[in-house]
Amino acid sequence: MDFSFSDEQLMFREQVLKFARKEIAPRAQQHDLESRFDWESWKRLGEFGILGLHFPEEYGGSGADVVTTVLASEALGESGVDGGLTLSYGAHTFLCADTIFAHGTEEQRRKYIPPLATGAKVGCMGLTEPGAGSDVASLRTRAERKGDTWVLNGSKMFITNGGIADVALIYAKTDPAAGHAGISAFIVEKGTPGFTVSRNLIKMGVHSSPTSELVFEDCVIPAENLVGSEGNGFMMAMQTVEWDRSALLAPFIGAIAFLIERCTRYAQQREQFGRPIAYFQGVRHKLADLKIFLEAARSLVYRIAWCKDQGRPLNHLEAAVAKLFVGDWSLGPTNDAMIIMGGYGYCHEYDVERIFRDSRLAPIGGGTSDVQKVLISRLM
Amino acid sequence: MNFDWTAEDLDFKSRVAALFDSESVTALEGLERAELPELKATTGMFLRRLSETGYLSLGMGPEAASETLRLMAGQEEVALFSGSLFLAVETTARLFGGLLKGFGEPEQVRDILEPLFRGEIVAAVAMSEPAGNEPGTSRTSAREDGDSFVVNGRKSFASNGPIADYIAVTGEVDGLLAVFLVEPRMEGVAVGTRLQTLGYNGVAVSSLDLTAVRVPRSRVLGPFRDAKPLEWLRQIDNLVLSVASVGLMHRTLAEARRHASGHVRDGKAVGKHQEVRFKLAEMLTLAQTAQLLAYRTAWLHATAADEAPTLIHCAKVFSAEASERVASLAMQIAAGDAYVSGNVVERGYRDAKYAAIAGTTSELARMSIAQDLLNLHRV
Ligand SMILES: Cc1cc2nc3c(=O)[nH]c(=O)nc-3n(C[C@H](O)[C@H](O)[C@H](O)COP(=O)(O)OP(=O)(O)OC[C@H]3O[C@@H](n4cnc5c(N)ncnc54)[C@H](O)[C@@H]3O)c2cc1C
Ligand SMILES: Cc1cc2nc3c(=O)[nH]c(=O)nc-3n(C[C@H](O)[C@H](O)[C@H](O)COP(=O)(O)OP(=O)(O)OC[C@H]3O[C@@H](n4cnc5c(N)ncnc54)[C@H](O)[C@@H]3O)c2cc1C
Repeated sequence: MDFSFSDEQLMFREQVLKFARKEIAPRAQQHDLESRFDWESWKRLGEFGILGLHFPEEYGGSGADVVTTVLASEALGESGVDGGLTLSYGAHTFLCADTIFAHGTEEQRRKYIPPLATGAKVGCMGLTEPGAGSDVASLRTRAERKGDTWVLNGSKMFITNGGIADVALIYAKTDPAAGHAGISAFIVEKGTPGFTVSRNLIKMGVHSSPTSELVFEDCVIPAENLVGSEGNGFMMAMQTVEWDRSALLAPFIGAIAFLIERCTRYAQQREQFGRPIAYFQGVRHKLADLKIFLEAARSLVYRIAWCKDQGRPLNHLEAAVAKLFVGDWSLGPTNDAMIIMGGYGYCHEYDVERIFRDSRLAPIGGGTSDVQKVLISRLM
Repeated sequence: MNFDWTAEDLDFKSRVAALFDSESVTALEGLERAELPELKATTGMFLRRLSETGYLSLGMGPEAASETLRLMAGQEEVALFSGSLFLAVETTARLFGGLLKGFGEPEQVRDILEPLFRGEIVAAVAMSEPAGNEPGTSRTSAREDGDSFVVNGRKSFASNGPIADYIAVTGEVDGLLAVFLVEPRMEGVAVGTRLQTLGYNGVAVSSLDLTAVRVPRSRVLGPFRDAKPLEWLRQIDNLVLSVASVGLMHRTLAEARRHASGHVRDGKAVGKHQEVRFKLAEMLTLAQTAQLLAYRTAWLHATAADEAPTLIHCAKVFSAEASERVASLAMQIAAGDAYVSGNVVERGYRDAKYAAIAGTTSELARMSIAQDLLNLHRV
């Protein structure tokens, strides 16, 4: 075993950290408060190469390996970039673009990946529905073949970037009788008649990431917008789990490193009873717990990334363990960080409160903690 | 980066695992109830068997830190089968043996280390003292007298004490740390009666009194200018306790799973209920997370990384507390059967508390982690 990173990986992580600290993180708080997507940061992330990092250069990416990609995501969290922006990036790059890249035709790749990789276009992925969350296979959005077209009817719920996306990757039933084997994936472009955003949701956290309900009413798309083969959609959606448990979890872990630094500094500056609060063991205990969680969580996530780089099929048990651990065990430390900051920790103005809210998504999004336990107990 | 064991690691691991056949497991069960002579015989038998795999000579002393991860591949196999045996073996090998190898003069310790590597001796390390002394000081002290040191003091706990051939006793000479290698048969050495403990009943623990014990200079390590040997001992002790906790989690989890699938209530195995299954999932998550953290910590220690001391504390606190939780969940699942003395889960439940108390306590470990953070992010 060897837990080291290459010099290039570490150097790039450092570059991302520096860039994000200077150019992105200072904008996070305002956009969170206003629940506004940060187009300027999006553009800069694209220019820096983050949005398409792992795609080959010929598709507008940098050809980075998965571990590097995960380190970059972690660095965004550590720099203080809000969970809204990192979620939007995750849904765009890994859930939407990567699925098109991995399963699409060469034509689809050439058409969609370059603008998604640079951020010129925004992507989203629609799997969840009002009636189908954890039980995704029960989704009811219908796609029917009519000549050279597919006709979509149904709705999608909680779709990250839904309201701003140019390219939506939508899962729908092509054969309702076939269970998961009847699900297929389609590209629906913004402006397609019959495709509307019915509402944007007001949420507890990840404010700068728009979350929407999408509606498809006799929405006609060309036949060539089917991604992968018919009936393969469920398998494709499940393959994004590799990214979900690595690059999408990494910002949460980075955020803990951010909290550690923020709270450790604050504890030295804030004085009560005539001494810095860092003097008190109750405060030190919480700092230590943040660090213990960070170190415990890290390797779980790196392991998934490393296995993907080795071309190994995802170990679903390890993936579920990583998701469950980061989701459930991060609740304590993020709460502790807020308490270390006292009243300020509870105020909107400070990023500690924002991270507390943002991190509540970890045990829900991309498969709840209960669903991970169902998987673990089945696979163990 | 590489999350796989090397072929050599795996070979070592399987050679260690092969020692634990069903006969061994029965012998190890007996260890928990054994009187001292049997305890010494069984511990000695396993030490000799382990020596044949090279287990006893790996990772000895700071110079051999690079072997920490390889060693852990084997350690977790021993810890999985018997926490008691594991602690007895590690106290003899890594703590006592490592201290001698790392901090003793070669000619001084050769006649002890060679039989130790062959599994022929059992040893103890006595550091802890009764409450009351100033921080960082020891009440055990010695004065030089000709070619020997005359040592006086009292140690509160020594694992393996009642069955040890040698005991390394920490103390002071003119305010400097020194380690005295004493034998129970020496005049003035009084090994206390075996203490009855909550858990790890297969380890014999006692106090130790030294009254004007004359220790020849050839049996004294130090005096040292700094406390490095003590710091090193603590680190190794904490690593060992992390592995013990991981072993305990896997052991109790295995028993809980066995129970969940075989115990039928109202016509249904209890493991079919989500209330039970989710507990198993949590247990596995904690065990895997602690295990991976222990591996990474061992690697950091092996590569002498700056953050290794902090991570050793993180791994120790996490695994100790996770093991208490896992043992408690296992008890909940195996319920009445597990509450009966002698059950693997009952033993694990009692054993689990030890790791949070022994070595660096969870409180002191957390304070140390926080201090490391304060040093790192100083304003
Ligand atoms: C901010 C945000 C962004 C999101 N972005 C996207 C996106 O981009 N694309 C997308 O497709 N989806 C997205 N989602 C949806 C997300 O993946 C779902 O919310 C999640 O999978 C849970 O589904 P649900 O909300 O319908 O909860 P439900 O499935 O209704 O679950 C409700 C409760 O029941 C529990 N439960 C369900 N089944 C079981 C079971 N078998 N055993 C025990 N307990 C069970 C759950 O754990 C949970 O506690 C997003 C959600 C949020 C909040
Ligand atoms: C079965 C058994 C076997 C043992 N074997 C050995 C052995 O082989 N060799 C050996 O040297 N020792 C051995 N020990 C001793 C063991 O290492 C000590 O018990 C341990 O170091 C804790 O010391 P203590 O019991 O004196 O607790 P104390 O140090 O008295 O602590 C009591 C409580 O106060 C807390 N506390 C103390 N100081 C602080 C502080 N500054 N800040 C916050 N909290 C604090 C502690 O964390 C703990 O909760 C053994 C103990 C047992 C029970």
